[in-house]
Amino acid sequence: MLTLSDMRTENGKAYVLLMPSLILAVMFSFYPLVKSVAGSFLTISQQGEVRGFAGLMNYISLFSDPAFPASIRHTLLFILMFLPLNTALTLLAAILTRRKTRWGGIAEYIFFMPMAVSLSSLSLIFREMFRGRVSVINQILDTDIAWLDSPGTALLVLAFLGVFLDFGIDYILLLSSFRRIDRNILEAAALDGAGNLRTLISIELPEIRTMLSVTVFLAAKDALLISAPVMILTQGGPFRSTETIMYYYYLEAFRSGNRGAESTITTLITIIAVIIMAMIASRRKNDWKNI
Amino acid sequence: MKRIILPVLLVLALASLAAGGNREENTITVWHQFTGVHSQVFDSILDSFNETTGKELGVTVEGVYQGAANDVLTKVKAAAGSSGLPDIAAMDATSCLDMKMSDYLVTADDAGIDTSVLLPAAVRAFTSERGLLAVPFCCSSLILYYNKTVFDEAGVTPPRTIDEFTAIADKVGEKDGDGNVVRYAFAGTPTTYELGAFIGAQKGLSYMVDGKNGHFGLPRKVLIESDGTFRNFLEHWKAFYDTGYVLNTSDQMNEFASGRAAAMLNSSDSIPSVERLTGGRFEIGTAFVPMTDEEATGGVNIGGSALFLFTSSDAVNAFIEYLLSDECQRMWAESTGYLPASASVYEDPGFLSFLEENPLYRTAVDQTLASNPEVTGIWMPSGYQIYHTYQSEIREVTENGKDIDQAVSDMAAFIQLQLDDYNRQNSTAQ
Repeated sequence: MLTLSDMRTENGKAYVLLMPSLILAVMFSFYPLVKSVAGSFLTISQQGEVRGFAGLMNYISLFSDPAFPASIRHTLLFILMFLPLNTALTLLAAILTRRKTRWGGIAEYIFFMPMAVSLSSLSLIFREMFRGRVSVINQILDTDIAWLDSPGTALLVLAFLGVFLDFGIDYILLLSSFRRIDRNILEAAALDGAGNLRTLISIELPEIRTMLSVTVFLAAKDALLISAPVMILTQGGPFRSTETIMYYYYLEAFRSGNRGAESTITTLITIIAVIIMAMIASRRKNDWKNI
Repeated sequence: MKRIILPVLLVLALASLAAGGNREENTITVWHQFTGVHSQVFDSILDSFNETTGKELGVTVEGVYQGAANDVLTKVKAAAGSSGLPDIAAMDATSCLDMKMSDYLVTADDAGIDTSVLLPAAVRAFTSERGLLAVPFCCSSLILYYNKTVFDEAGVTPPRTIDEFTAIADKVGEKDGDGNVVRYAFAGTPTTYELGAFIGAQKGLSYMVDGKNGHFGLPRKVLIESDGTFRNFLEHWKAFYDTGYVLNTSDQMNEFASGRAAAMLNSSDSIPSVERLTGGRFEIGTAFVPMTDEEATGGVNIGGSALFLFTSSDAVNAFIEYLLSDECQRMWAESTGYLPASASVYEDPGFLSFLEENPLYRTAVDQTLASNPEVTGIWMPSGYQIYHTYQSEIREVTENGKDIDQAVSDMAAFIQLQLDDYNRQNSTAQ
């Protein structure tokens, strides 16, 4: 039986082991977060000098700039385009390659590929492919669309780029999940005369649904925080139509040096992130053990 | 314990690396935004300095490309917090307000740069209540690029005013049998830079914001609505757009170079790029920026970049002096399309005969000399946001029939919002 002093040493050991990650978390997560939340209620000059209490002025300023609500709209629109597209395509790819076949490895390799390409180079490739009316894409599709120069299509191109960026990891997660399904069940179903489609719908998809929701959450998180591809591909243009929340944040914080907007947006994004994490956590309670 | 020490050491090592930058004493670092021809010429200037004056003084100048002009500003502001500032950075008018407010800038006056050799308009362009903020070096101005082949065939000369352009739009533009435009008369959506001229030139001199466009003190009030200048511009521009031969785009360079647009506005330092992209498919012409109306006689402002100093030393001054020498300025101007910053170059026989032989380069020089030097670039906060909001409003008016008065008041309100927010956070005099 453990005595009190035993427990103390046990706990002490645990704390010592926790220390490094705790220090890092405090330094790089908690401290900046607390600073941002506090900063969102203060008036701070560009030079970083605190000039006084701002009350809700930073929040009022933020919401009176029409570009901020617009950036929320663009982000939601982006999620609406990207999430179904990404989920459908990665799921389709995983379904098509879920059985190991002789040449299937080639397809798998192709589907993994996007993971090996860095975000910025892929964005640059997209920019070149969609540039102007004489773009490669227009030649291939035989269209005459200024993809990156008209508001609707620019966001669509961004959604496609997003799919490329997330495809590899989502595909691997889904594929491994498919392949971990107990073969006995599949064989039993086959003996009972279940066809490919029936097995897929009634057995395999329900089996991987937890992993599917994980990939959807991952993709939703990426979509909510998308900024680097915007920076490279469209710079928020044309006509500020592809400015997402995080790109807006980048503009205000880094371009304009607007400290008020900087800490206010950080605070708001954190609140959104906490809500999403709570949603994941509640799912996790039910499902995590099934993965 | 060992397990803790290792990560802690690792973190410390990383931190010291990040803080990095043991700058060598005898190296002058210049951050710039030059690409293509400009970067080649700039590098050759640095090389020749390093081999001559630099060698005598024992200093080496090193140029570092840091992205587009506003990227340089972003990086300078980030570096200022970590003592990683370069000695010199080339930045444009959008940086001036932030630089003026900063405590790490060494103004050209404080550095003791001899400014008497400079073109007065170039000095005026970068002067604030703190004196001359930066050394004008790559000055440029907005000019009209036109497809001379098309204009000559149509028997028209470049338009003097927007209304004149409206009148000839269907002559230089072209539609196919189905009524689709195959060549626009003009490509581009005006924004801050273009409006610097379209608004600045009105009534001889107009400002976008108070404090003489934010050069003196912090800008507090937007003037484009109360002065009626933006409205006046929009009325003329809408009429021009309604000819059906104007294309709203931010990619005017490619539209023009591919021959799909007969004219565009662009900076004079784009001449080498325009020539390269056009590849001799047609003859290029350059002309003065069309005036908003007959009373808009102010001309254009000097745009482009200046060299902002962050350290003060004899070596930096010697380098600046070298850059401002007539020889260097001429070479720079003749190969890039930038305007010489030194006044005496404008009387240099060699430069004058170069302009005689290269009429493309001549326009910017003539136009600048004919302009009111008080017409200056706009120094205001949130330059990027205002730039794009201008384009959005102009597009709304031209394409979607937004009421001009509404667009003017929305635009003015947007700029005012940016000014108020900036003043609230940064102004010392509340």
